[in-house]
Amino acid sequence: MNFIEEEDAPKKAKAPCADLTTSEKVVELLNQAALIPTDEKLTVLKQVQELIINKDPSLLDNFLDEMIAFQTDKSIEVRKFVIGFIEEACKRDNELLLRLIANLNMLLRDESVNVIKKGILTLTQLYKVSLQWLVRTKVISEMQEACWDMLTNMKGEVLELLDSENDGVRTHAIKFTEALIIALSPRTQDSEVPKRQENDISLDKVPKDHSYIRYDTLCEEGKTALEKLLKFMVHPAISSINLTTALGSLATIARQRPMFMSEVVQAYETLHANLPPTLAKSQVSSVRKNLKLHLVAVLKHPCSLEFHGQISTLLQDLGMPQSEIARSTPALREQRKRPRHEQYTEGKKVKIEPALIDEDEDKEEPAPPVPKPAPVPVGLSAIDLTAEFLRPLLTPENVANLVLISMVYLPDVMPASFQSTYTPVESAGTDAQIKHLARLLSTQMTAAGIGPGLEQSKNKEASEEEGSSKDPLIKRKSQMVVQNISVVGGHTEKTPEIPVMKRLPEPILPTAQPKMPGASGRKKVFRLSDVIQPLTDSQLENLSSKAVKRVLHSEKSIAQSGMAQVRVKLLSRLVTQFEGMMKGDVLEFILEDIRTRSDLAFSLLYQEYTTYLSQMPSGLLDSYDHCLYTLLSGLQEKPEQRDGLFTKLVLEAPVITDSALEVIRRYCEDESRVYLGMTTLKELIFNRPSRQFQYLHVLLDLSSHEKEKVRTTALSFLKRMYEKEHLRDYIEKFALNYMQLLVHPNPPSLLFGADKDTEVAAPWTEETVRQCLFLYLSLLPLNHRLVHELAAVYTEAIADIKRSVLRAIEQPIRGMGMNSPDLLLLVENCPKGAETLVTRCLHILTDKVPPSPELVERVRDLYHKRVPDVRFLIPVINGLEKSEVIQALPKLIKLNPIVVKEVFNRLLGTQHSEGTSSVSPLTPGDLLIALHNIDSTKCDMKSIIKATNLCFGEKNVYTSEVLAVVMQQLMEQNPLPMLLMRTVIQSLTMYPRLGGFVMNILARLIVKQVWKYPKVWEGFVKCCQRTRPQSYSVLLALPPAQLSSVFERCPEMRDPLLQHVQLFTPHQQAHIPTSIMTILEAHKKPEPKPVEPEKETEPVPKPATAEPASASAPESEQNERHGEEEEPMEQETVNTASQMETAAAQETSSPTPETEEPMDDTQPELSDPQQQAEQDREDGNGNEPED
Amino acid sequence: MPSHPLRVAVVCSSNQNRSMEAHNILSKRGFDVRSFGTGSHVKLPGPAPDKPNVYDFKTTYEQMYNDLVRKDKELYTQNGILHMLDRNKRIKSKPERFQNCKDKFDLIITCEERVYDQVLEDFNSKEEELSQPVHVINVDIQDNHEEATLGAFLICELCQCLQHTDDMENEIDELLQDLEDKSKRTFLHTVCFY
Repeated sequence: MNFIEEEDAPKKAKAPCADLTTSEKVVELLNQAALIPTDEKLTVLKQVQELIINKDPSLLDNFLDEMIAFQTDKSIEVRKFVIGFIEEACKRDNELLLRLIANLNMLLRDESVNVIKKGILTLTQLYKVSLQWLVRTKVISEMQEACWDMLTNMKGEVLELLDSENDGVRTHAIKFTEALIIALSPRTQDSEVPKRQENDISLDKVPKDHSYIRYDTLCEEGKTALEKLLKFMVHPAISSINLTTALGSLATIARQRPMFMSEVVQAYETLHANLPPTLAKSQVSSVRKNLKLHLVAVLKHPCSLEFHGQISTLLQDLGMPQSEIARSTPALREQRKRPRHEQYTEGKKVKIEPALIDEDEDKEEPAPPVPKPAPVPVGLSAIDLTAEFLRPLLTPENVANLVLISMVYLPDVMPASFQSTYTPVESAGTDAQIKHLARLLSTQMTAAGIGPGLEQSKNKEASEEEGSSKDPLIKRKSQMVVQNISVVGGHTEKTPEIPVMKRLPEPILPTAQPKMPGASGRKKVFRLSDVIQPLTDSQLENLSSKAVKRVLHSEKSIAQSGMAQVRVKLLSRLVTQFEGMMKGDVLEFILEDIRTRSDLAFSLLYQEYTTYLSQMPSGLLDSYDHCLYTLLSGLQEKPEQRDGLFTKLVLEAPVITDSALEVIRRYCEDESRVYLGMTTLKELIFNRPSRQFQYLHVLLDLSSHEKEKVRTTALSFLKRMYEKEHLRDYIEKFALNYMQLLVHPNPPSLLFGADKDTEVAAPWTEETVRQCLFLYLSLLPLNHRLVHELAAVYTEAIADIKRSVLRAIEQPIRGMGMNSPDLLLLVENCPKGAETLVTRCLHILTDKVPPSPELVERVRDLYHKRVPDVRFLIPVINGLEKSEVIQALPKLIKLNPIVVKEVFNRLLGTQHSEGTSSVSPLTPGDLLIALHNIDSTKCDMKSIIKATNLCFGEKNVYTSEVLAVVMQQLMEQNPLPMLLMRTVIQSLTMYPRLGGFVMNILARLIVKQVWKYPKVWEGFVKCCQRTRPQSYSVLLALPPAQLSSVFERCPEMRDPLLQHVQLFTPHQQAHIPTSIMTILEAHKKPEPKPVEPEKETEPVPKPATAEPASASAPESEQNERHGEEEEPMEQETVNTASQMETAAAQETSSPTPETEEPMDDTQPELSDPQQQAEQDREDGNGNEPED
Repeated sequence: MPSHPLRVAVVCSSNQNRSMEAHNILSKRGFDVRSFGTGSHVKLPGPAPDKPNVYDFKTTYEQMYNDLVRKDKELYTQNGILHMLDRNKRIKSKPERFQNCKDKFDLIITCEERVYDQVLEDFNSKEEELSQPVHVINVDIQDNHEEATLGAFLICELCQCLQHTDDMENEIDELLQDLEDKSKRTFLHTVCFY
């Protein structure tokens, strides 16, 4: 900082001019000034100014040009100095105004705001000075006119600087406006006059008959300036400093020009109730402090009397104690003598005495009793009128309602302005407070443009307009600002060229001229572009997104006001137009509570679409897509959403994009919403034909979904759609294509979600196979024709797949039923390789219902003509003829024990517990007999025995009665079946009460010479052995040879039999032949020669020709050997069940086909293992002992 | 930089502690600074809260210093009053009353709301002649040595910021807001006119 040097500079400068004349000194100093640095230059110039203005004013004219030349100095301070010099010079010699005003005008357009500010200050002074000067002058020269016109021009420009972008410039403009208002209004006896300004010009000093200066015009300009100032003050974005300044200016105006008191107080009231929202908290405090200060100042003015109520309420609200207010109020008596301030009308004759008949526009008092709208007195503003109107309405009830209603509009956060302005209402309910409240409301209503007061003043203005049409420049204050500006504009329009032509050219300033037009060109009606400066992108974004957020979050209050639709529209328009964060914010906001914000969601969506449409040929759907996608995902991710909003959004969206479809798909995959999701999808498919296959495809994809619920739902939807003609082909094709995948050796990656059709190394699993079949199998019952496709695929598929297929087809095949022509056709054709499939189908079909004749016919055909595999017959076995069954029996019982078991179950009707089981062509007895009659050349004995054991296993079926009948029949056969005695013994074991019957059988067998059948004989003996002592009588009935044969086999029987006989009565003993007795008692005699067996290897007994005694011994040996081979009979019944079980277990644990099976290497077992297990369980139950 | 150094006035109640501390620091930083009090008298703490030492504005710091040394040197050394007066007298000879000052400033900083009110009152009671604006800012500072030092630095920062603006009047609002946020204090701010 070099301002300390300033002290030295004057000394240096002064030194040389000590002895010179003033003129020489000035020359010297000016020469110096041109060369020295700014700080010194200022000092030097100040000296010059002192010399030529105060010391020797005669020199002023001489050096004026030299001084003014410094106005182009590069230093701001120097230029400011020049302005100061102009002011001083003009004050000293008013004539200089003519020469210097244009310089000032130029400096007002300086690039530095500090220079402009200084210019404004000077203009404030010079405007008054020149007005005074011109008013004094009776005859105005052309130059003076031009000068005044220019000043008027400059005045207008400075007024417009109220809209400057620079805060400081605006502050100065306010002060200028203040001074202007005071100068252009009459000083009255109430006016406070600052001592210094006692001699200042004011309107009352302007003669109304001046040749050039128009009193009316000036008066009007003054009022316009006040309006401008008032308008400026209510700007919502006014800075706190400007506001403070304006408040001060208004106070000054009110005190110096009490005629404006009403406007000022009103402005204060309005401001107090509507502090600009842009103010920070501390600024609010500052402003309020100022307001208080100025109110007190106004209050102290005598003319404030009629506003005391309003002012003191305001002060109270601002937190001033009542006592202090009272202290600031001037004594009442002083006031009373002064009437209401003089009516001030613009240049018209003042009408102090109003007559009712007269024109009512200037009436001082309203006439309340008059029924027509009360004429508006000048003193009463719209606010007053509305307040009067409101006052009686403010009953406690109404006020309470108002409070309640307005509660809902309260913001969430207390605004800074409210927080600091709030003071508890002390005088609630009093008349004064009601009055104040009425005024507050009125202020707001008037600001909002409603209320009776406003209408009345409008009416009044309208009439005044007509009345005062003689002067077009007189416009009403409440006209729009545009009009006000146009007044200024209109005024300047006609003047600019005049000063340019008339004015003296500036000596040193060639630039002055060209600047003029530019300057006047600057005067626009509204200079928005001048006051705004471009924001940076981030600022822009920030501001706009904040704005949108505000709209967004004002949801509640807007809803209350019924403007919700407008908000929604506004938001959607805004957001679609701007890229960036906003969109995300809005979407997030919607998703927070989508139920209540769905209208916004839709509006946004449609707006996006409209935008897309409007850019049609090149437009991208990205933005729309993003919007839809976000909304749908949001809904999809929300845990609970039952009201179908998702569906609604999907169905009402103009376009479903791919990503949206993806969300729908995800929605469908959610188990809890699968139904809703698929219903939506279905609606899409039906209602959006243009892309229905795309939607359908999604549903089709889901039909093989891993989640069962998703899958089954999809399948049930698809089944319904399959009935629609136009969708049918597509679905069918898809299903078949999918099934076709089964021919691949490995499952294609398609099944694992990937899109590529490459094969992956993983083997087929049950899962993957089923995946390929789900859809197909659900369609199958609907369209039987498809079954042939399955057969085709089946033949090509690998064994694992085949097995899985067989397991999977049960349901659909059953659904098709055995009457399906296509199924019958399949059986008939039975493609090579599909035998197992066909068999499986047959099994499934006949599982629960008896086979139909058609089916039996087909199977029989197949069996006889093409594939002679007995297993085909099993499912339809109950539909075959008895003879056919018996014929097939040897083959059947040779099959896998489980299969045999199944066959028997079918034949015996023990397959299922239901009563619907088929009627077997064979009765159980028939079956057992048929088994006994199987030709042992066709079937080995082992299989037959196993088969009979199966029969005995079914205790429910083979009751004692059945067995008795069987035994009876068998016994009557000739020759006797080899297994006869085995069956007899087993029957006896099962039903001991058959003992008597068996004795009878045995007795009859003796008649049939049972010993001729070695096997049977052997059994006979065993049977006797078991049934003793019952069998003793039978034994005694044997011929002696046979009896001895019995004893040979069972020597231990001899003694008991002997004892038995010895117990007989002698009479009884007499009946026993001696030969018998001999045998009985011949235990010490040599054994008779046993009867030789006729043919050792002959299994079928033949009538023995040899003597019974000789034949019996070797036969029994042989039979014993044979019996060992055959398994002991006793064990058989016991073991049957466990053998079956182990067999079944083996079967279930290894599903691989047994190599002994004749049909096909790849052939899986024929019957369902599960089914088999069930049967086993049933068998287990059946084996429980009866009684 | 504005074309001339800011003319700053720092005002407290008695022109002893807060304004002088700021005066001290600001003048060291090269500001064109003056300091004032707005009270009717100069008050310094006495032996008890209800017994302050009261002087008029004509009394020099030197005189006060001597007076207090005489009264109770130990007490006034203890509470730092003597130290303060010693500093003050090296800055200027005696306290000045704001209301009596005819000089013009660009910036007036008050140290207490009451002082701020008095400054505004003073402007309001004086006649305006030049319409030249002066910004008045209140920075609340408690009247003790530590707070005075802290406050002085804050004032200094404020002045430096304002001094470095291109257009002080246009930027002051925003600058104050920023400083409010930064210092977590609130400033009263208004504009008055000479």
